[in-house]
This record gives sequence, structure tokens and C-alpha cells, in this order.
Amino acid sequence: MTEQVAGSGDAQAGNSGDAAAADGAALPTFDAWALPPDFAIPRIPPAFFDTGGVRVRYLEADPQWVRDLADTLRAAGARLAGRSTGAIADALGTVGERLLDPDDSLRREALRFLPSTSGMSEPMAAAVLDGMAADWTANRLRALLERELGEPGLLDRFIPDGPRRVKAFGPALAVQVLAGSVPGVGTTALLRSLLVKSPVLIKAGRGDIVLPALAVRALGKAAPDLAAACAVVYWPGGRSEPEDAALLAADFVAVYGSDETVRAVRARTPVSARFVAYHHRVSLAVVGREALSVDAVDRAVVDVAGAVAFFDQHGCVSPHVVYVEEGGGVDGRAFATRLAGALASLEETLPGGVAEPLEAARLQQLRGAAEMRAAAGPDVELHHGGADLWTVIFEADPSFETSCLNRTIRVKPVDDLSQVAELVRPFARHLQTIGVAGVGDRLGELADALGRAGAVRVAPLDSMPFPPPWWHHDGQGPLTVMLRFVDVESER
Amino acid sequence: MVGGGGGLPSEAGRAGGAFAALAEELKVRFRQGVGRPLSDADFDALACRAFEIQFDASPAYRAFCRGRGVDPGAVVTWEEIPAVPAEAFKRLDLVAGAPRDAERVFVTSGTTSSSGIRGRHFVLDLDLYRASLLPNFRAHVLPDVERPPLLSLIPAPAEAPTSSLSFMIGTVAEELAGPAAWLVDGRGRLDVKGFRAAAAEYGGAAGALLVTGTAFSFVHLIDVLRAEGCGAALPAGSRIMETGGFKGRARSVPREALYGAIEELLGVPRHHVVNEYGMTELLSQLYEPVLTRRDRADARPGPDEEVEAVAGRGVHVAPPWLRVRALDPVTLDPLEEGREGLLCFFDLANAGSVCHVLTEDLGAVTSEGVRLRGRVPAAEPRGCSRAMDEIMSAAEGRGG
Repeated sequence: MTEQVAGSGDAQAGNSGDAAAADGAALPTFDAWALPPDFAIPRIPPAFFDTGGVRVRYLEADPQWVRDLADTLRAAGARLAGRSTGAIADALGTVGERLLDPDDSLRREALRFLPSTSGMSEPMAAAVLDGMAADWTANRLRALLERELGEPGLLDRFIPDGPRRVKAFGPALAVQVLAGSVPGVGTTALLRSLLVKSPVLIKAGRGDIVLPALAVRALGKAAPDLAAACAVVYWPGGRSEPEDAALLAADFVAVYGSDETVRAVRARTPVSARFVAYHHRVSLAVVGREALSVDAVDRAVVDVAGAVAFFDQHGCVSPHVVYVEEGGGVDGRAFATRLAGALASLEETLPGGVAEPLEAARLQQLRGAAEMRAAAGPDVELHHGGADLWTVIFEADPSFETSCLNRTIRVKPVDDLSQVAELVRPFARHLQTIGVAGVGDRLGELADALGRAGAVRVAPLDSMPFPPPWWHHDGQGPLTVMLRFVDVESER
Repeated sequence: MVGGGGGLPSEAGRAGGAFAALAEELKVRFRQGVGRPLSDADFDALACRAFEIQFDASPAYRAFCRGRGVDPGAVVTWEEIPAVPAEAFKRLDLVAGAPRDAERVFVTSGTTSSSGIRGRHFVLDLDLYRASLLPNFRAHVLPDVERPPLLSLIPAPAEAPTSSLSFMIGTVAEELAGPAAWLVDGRGRLDVKGFRAAAAEYGGAAGALLVTGTAFSFVHLIDVLRAEGCGAALPAGSRIMETGGFKGRARSVPREALYGAIEELLGVPRHHVVNEYGMTELLSQLYEPVLTRRDRADARPGPDEEVEAVAGRGVHVAPPWLRVRALDPVTLDPLEEGREGLLCFFDLANAGSVCHVLTEDLGAVTSEGVRLRGRVPAAEPRGCSRAMDEIMSAAEGRGG
């Protein structure tokens, strides 16, 4: 998986197909870029990396090229000013609709490259695409605008608002640096920018290159003026020269990734640019007594299993621990056994993906240590799928612990769900989704305590993987966080 | 499911006697040096004796083995003996006797931990550790010099009593080196002025010096020397033992850059820089045989293209009493020679704890030795453990 410069091959407009690899073997190739029409690509052969049987080619961008790209995008963005926001949502929605249509070539192309580039199994990749693209349709994008702005016309004209008139402006150039752990996140970021009429440069993450590139290529046909205002590029993480050029040109910067990545990008972002950090987050599930009767428990078990399995647990919405309340019929130990069964069944329908060797290394340490502790006493029980990566550890100790991911979950009993907020408080700054079931009329009280402890989203277990488009992403409206509101005050 | 509980005193007593006898035999064998091979049959026989002692004395290990359906009566080769994950040293007292009988408890540094808990290695017999480390160190680092003065960038044992690395260098200082200067204190502070002074004082006699340190301590030293605009040239024949730099760290140092800077500022050529690979959980070490292979007629550069061609570079060699396999990271099946997997060690010097240890480190085992792999720079970890380290440290930071 080393980065290389292709020995031959030309960088045509971003495309995909089969190419003869330098070593002679024909690998399907995917070009990890999408640029405004007529914008010149660098005159050097693209670099590449091979992953899961696919050769991903990318452009070796130099800083001047990135500056030129930023200027081109900015100019195209200025031409969007007269577009109505509703019409933009409709045009963008065609991409989501095509990605959901089983007979559409765009969806087939996506499904051809998604599994190998993301490390997910084919059924998992298809399910992730379904879940993500559902939010990219015109109806859902319009719902996002309405939920967040109340009056979508706010982006088109000044709207009277008491003693003032208000209009919202998107940034003159948004730069979004993606993490790549979950496919689809980059496309959502792209659509959010365009929805507020902001041109956008997407620096894709390694595992999430396919969808944003395909989305821009599809837009080129559906709405050329929107396609002209976006670019998708990739370069290996930490390559600072082209990234610096992009950051210096940006009015708005969003970064997705580890705390380390966010710290590095934040330090290089000009103070005048608005900066949003989607740093790493952890999620968890809580199952209350009302969902733990012998008749009801399977629903909660299946929902938790799904939440763990989706994205092979690489999402910030993926649970690391499930807290099971005592006194509800099925106890934590039995819940863990059932959860193991559900994860084993999911291997049939949504098989797990491929683990990097270092991820597998961590998993073997965790499994082996749990096996030893299980042998030593009753406080730990281990279930796992052998060569299937899923792993369930029941632990009597209720302390919150992060998982090594790839479908590894700890089940921990608590006497009462009211204890959970205190248990997760040390992780306050990284908490995100709390999936809940069986809490009945305690939901308000529980949500308040969890909110106080740092959580930003409380959702039903089966909704954990896919927050609605209008959710307060890590606590903020995803559109309003990009906007600049301009007030016109009336004469007094 | 097997109940826990401590071993019965009579069991511990029997095991203690058996351990002491085995340890004495092993010391004799180790002191014969790394040049004398151990046959498969001899290794298996010693491994099975160690296993029986560990099985009898350690309730945690016994329960684990029984869970796998393995007991000493059913085992004839070392590969059949259950391996414990290094992580288990964090969670359980793995000792072939009573923990209170340990002469020393070494603690892991915790830099790569995702749980924030440190591993503990109970050492029943420090002499067995000494017997393993000394001939191996001499063979790979000091094959051609007697008692060179030592400049250590690793804290003295008194400053870091729970560090197995400090103990090792302390032992080397007593047994193999001349006068010693300890230039990093227990809190990791480097005394560069002291380094210059010791280099001048001991180097004045024009004999070779021995410098030991972690890769990071050398990076720090180099940074300061460069900032001060003046290197500290060491006498010809001086050699460096450098450790670390292979395991996952937030900031990894390109070895070639480090070795280049060492050559420039300390005047020690690349083929006099010996990398050591070791861990608290293992009482034996592996070394890159750069000092021993370079003069051999058949010496060839290793295929590790990242470092300048130096014979012996890129492979680490184990002493005869330490055996290693690479296992498939997912299935844990043994891999054929040359294929990369999880490294799993059987260390007879660990007779007092657990000999068979599965690590998190990746590498390939070849007839030449072990090819270690550090973090792959191109593989950005997906979501996972490195970020979780940050979260854990953030949580710990607030917890005080």
C-alpha cells in the first residue's frame, strides 16, 4: 500500500476503467478527482495506490495549481448568486436519486468501486450507499433547508424579520478536509456547501474517494453551473504544501478526522476563515428495563447489532459500549450472548469487511486478554466470530472503554440507567450519539443528564447509523455553521 | 468456565523448586553464548518444562490453557503451548510463582496502550534476565571491544527502577562497560552539556565509546547539538545501541534521517549503529547484526531500501533461546517463511512468567532473522485506535 508515481498513463479528465498496471497486471482503476470542466490537470502522470484489487490514481497537486483551482471555483461560485436555493436542491437531488436507482449506471459504478476502496463487503457497501444517498434526494435536501433555516428564501433575498431584513450568504469558498473512515461523508459535505451556494474544494479521505468524485461527475450533466463550482481531489494525509494553499484560499474550513489531524489543520488555517472541527467522536447504546423482557429483547439486540455492524463500526455514530440495565428480565450477560448470535447472523446478510493488519493486531490483543480474564473468573465473558471479526465482551466492570472497532462491542451492566451519564463524563468532549431503547418516560431526564455529560444526539437504537440530514451535526446546524447573516436595519 | 483463586501453597512450593532448578540450567546454557545453537529437540524439552511450571504455578495461565483444552501432558513442541497476548500483562499477574516472590516488577511505558493501563512483568530471578541479556548484547554490540566507557541516554536503574530497559543498560554498565555517564534522568531530561563533557573526557583516551539510547533520545540529542551548531565527534570504533522507533508512535522518525544525523554530528558511521528490538514482556532481545555481518565475505545489503545498504540492516536476530513465528493477523495460523504477520515469541528467559507471548507487532520471519515493520505511513488508520489513544489520554488528563 505504498504511494507511487505511475510509470505511465495519462491523466485524462477524471474517469474510471481498466488500465494496464506498471507490473503488467490489469487492475480496475479509479481516478480520485473531479475538476471543473476545462480546468487543466497537472502535466505529470498521476500517482496511485492499490487497495483491495483497485488502483486509485490521484493528482500530485502543487500549490500554484491549487491556488488556480481555488480562483476558478470562487469565480464559478459567484455565478451561483442568482440561482434559487430550491432549484439548487432539486438539481443536487438528481444525484441522490440516481445513486438509489438500481438500474442507473451511476449506482453501478459506485458499487463497483465502493467495496474495495472502503474495505467493506459488497452488501455492506450497498447498504451504506442506500442509507447515505437517501439524504441526498431533493425532498430530503429541501427538508434540511426548511428545518434549519425556516425560510429557505433567506439564501436568495433579504427577508423581513421584525425591525430588520436578513439574508444569509454561504462562504465564497469552502474547503472541506475529509477523514475517509465512512463512505458518503464527503458527499454530504459537498452537497451542504452547494446548497448554500458555496463553491467547494473537497479533499477526500482515502476510504471515501469514490462517492464525491462520482457525484461531481454526475452533476456535470445535470447542472453544469453547480459542477463548475466544485472540485474533488485527494492527496495523502499530512502533505502540507497543497493543503496549505487550499486553506489560505478558504473562507470556511471544515475538517473531519482524528484530533491530531484537526489540530494540524487548525494551526494552518487563517484566522479569518471560519473553522469547524468534526474531530473523532465516540457513541454508545443504552438499553433500559422496558426493552429487556424476554419477549421484547430481540428487537433491542438486533438494533444494537446493526448499529455495531454498520460501517464496520468506523462511524462516529457507531457504539463502543452497550449499557444494559439490571432488573429487566434479560440481564447483561444474556444480552451479550444474544448480541453475539445477532452479529454472527449479520455475517450472512451484511458481512464484515477487511481489517488492516494493525487493526487485526489490536483485536487479537483484546480477544486474547478477554479470553484470559474470562478463564480467570466470572466477571468477563468473550464471544467472537474467529476469522469473522465481530467480538462481544461482557464485562461486569461498568467503566466506559473505547473499542478497537471492526464490530467489537463491550456489554456492561448498570443497576440503573441514571448511572450512565456519570460513567461517560470523562469522555465528554468526544461523546456523540447515545442510542436508547426501553427507557419509557425516563427519556427526558436521561437525555438531559447525557446532554450535560457531553452527548450531542440521543436517538432510537435503529436510527444510530444514519442521523437525519437536518441533525445538529456534533451540536451545530450543518448549514447555519457555514453561513454569514447580513442584517439591513430599518430607519428609526 | 474455570474458577479463579490462588494456587495452593504446596503447588507454588513445588513449582518454585522446579523453577529454580530450570532457571539454573538455563543460566548455564545462556552463558555459553548466542553462537551455540539449541536443537529443536532441546528447545522443545526446555519449553515443555517451563510450560509445566507456569501451568502449575499461575492460576490465570492454567485456566486459560484449560479453556483451550491444553495441559502439559498433551504438549510435545513449543508451538503447541498457548501464547498469551502482551495485553494480558496489563490485566493479570502472570507469574510462575507467588507475585510477592518476584525480585522485581518491570512496568511497560504505556506509550502504545489504548487502555491507559500499564503492563507488569513479574521477574522471579533477575539473574536469569542478566544471563540472557549479557551474551546477546556482547555478541551484537561489543563483539570487538572490551569495557568501553558508556554514555547512556537511558536513565540509570536507580532513576527508573521499574524500567526493564534501564535494568538492562545498568547490567551492561556493570558487566561489560567501563566508566558510565548517565545523561538522561528519571524524568526524561537530557543533559547535553554532560554528554559533551563525557564524550571529551572518555574519548580523550581514544578508545571506542558505547552510547545507548532510544531513537527518541537520539533525536532529541541531535536536535540540541544541531541547534548549538556543533557536533560531538566520538572516537573511531564507537558504537551506538539504539532502541525503539519500530513500534507505533505518534511521531515516527525516518531511520535513514536519524542515522545520517548521527553520522554527521557524532561521527559514528551507520554500520556502527545497532538497533535493538525488545519489550518489557520479553526478557530476551533481538538485534540487527550490523557489526557482526559486515565483515563477512558473503555479507550482502538487506533489501530494506529505506536505509542505506548496510549488511545486516533490516533484519533482527534472536538468541537461540528465543524463537519466533509470524501468525496470520486474523486467523492466527502460522505463516510460511517470509510472509508478514503478527510476531509471536517463545522466550525461555521468561521461564518465571509466561514464555509464549503474542505481540501487536508485524513482521516476517526469514532464515536471516525477523524483518520488522513499523507503522506504514501510507495507511492512515481508519477511525480507530490511534484516535482512541487521544481520547483515552484526554480522559485521563481530566481524571488527574
